[in-house]
Amino acid sequence: MSDVIRREEFGDVAVLHIGTPSVDGVSAAAIEAACAEMRPITVLDFSNVSFINSSGISSLLKFVVTARKAGYKLFAMNVSPHHQKIFKMVEMSRFMPTIEERDLATYR
Amino acid sequence: MQRMERVEVNIPSNPIFERVVRASAAEIGETLGFSGDRIEDLKLAVSEAVNNAIEHGNKSEAHKLVEVVFALDQEKLEVRISDQGAGIERLDFSRRIVEEQNLEEGMLRGFGTYLISALVDDCEVSSSQTGTVLTLRLYRKGQTQ
Repeated sequence: MSDVIRREEFGDVAVLHIGTPSVDGVSAAAIEAACAEMRPITVLDFSNVSFINSSGISSLLKFVVTARKAGYKLFAMNVSPHHQKIFKMVEMSRFMPTIEERDLATYR
Repeated sequence: MQRMERVEVNIPSNPIFERVVRASAAEIGETLGFSGDRIEDLKLAVSEAVNNAIEHGNKSEAHKLVEVVFALDQEKLEVRISDQGAGIERLDFSRRIVEEQNLEEGMLRGFGTYLISALVDDCEVSSSQTGTVLTLRLYRKGQTQ
């Protein structure tokens, strides 16, 4: 596991905490590598992310594709208002809805 | 007569240096008193334009430069992003969203130009055999904090 992603797991849930502030073409490969760490319920935590561009969105879509193929559920957590706006613009939120941190407690 | 100020940043065609331009865009947006959301729009639009120039214009040939000029006046911020590529026929700014079929086919890219057009007030492209220039404009009226 790289410094870019820190993984936390409990039961069927994997929380992938994205550690880089920039989800872009430079960090894309390291982020995509974490697709192999997905669980039936996977949550991407954006609390440390301050920037996402279209290369970053492409890397996040790899998680969407992997989840769809495996029948997994994929959620986003701690998404900034601006990134929520961007996700809505490209309709990413349809495939990766947001979840509140408190809702994760039910799985712990 | 309106006072105009210019800031120029030239980078080699390596995506890591796009972050330098993005940081410059953020500082300039703050200097102009843009709102936080407007600064994020500016950063993202400039990021997409620079990455486009690196990848599609200069074909990621590191020795080719991407020139970014921020021109500020009382009315607007204009950002001109130029590459040293062989030119393009057209840029498609049409709306692009995540669709089931594209996911199935592994087509996970191509949102950049749509995001640019949606996040700035206007944009235009001029292209020749010596390169492409993408000009973005963000007007200042009503956009400050």
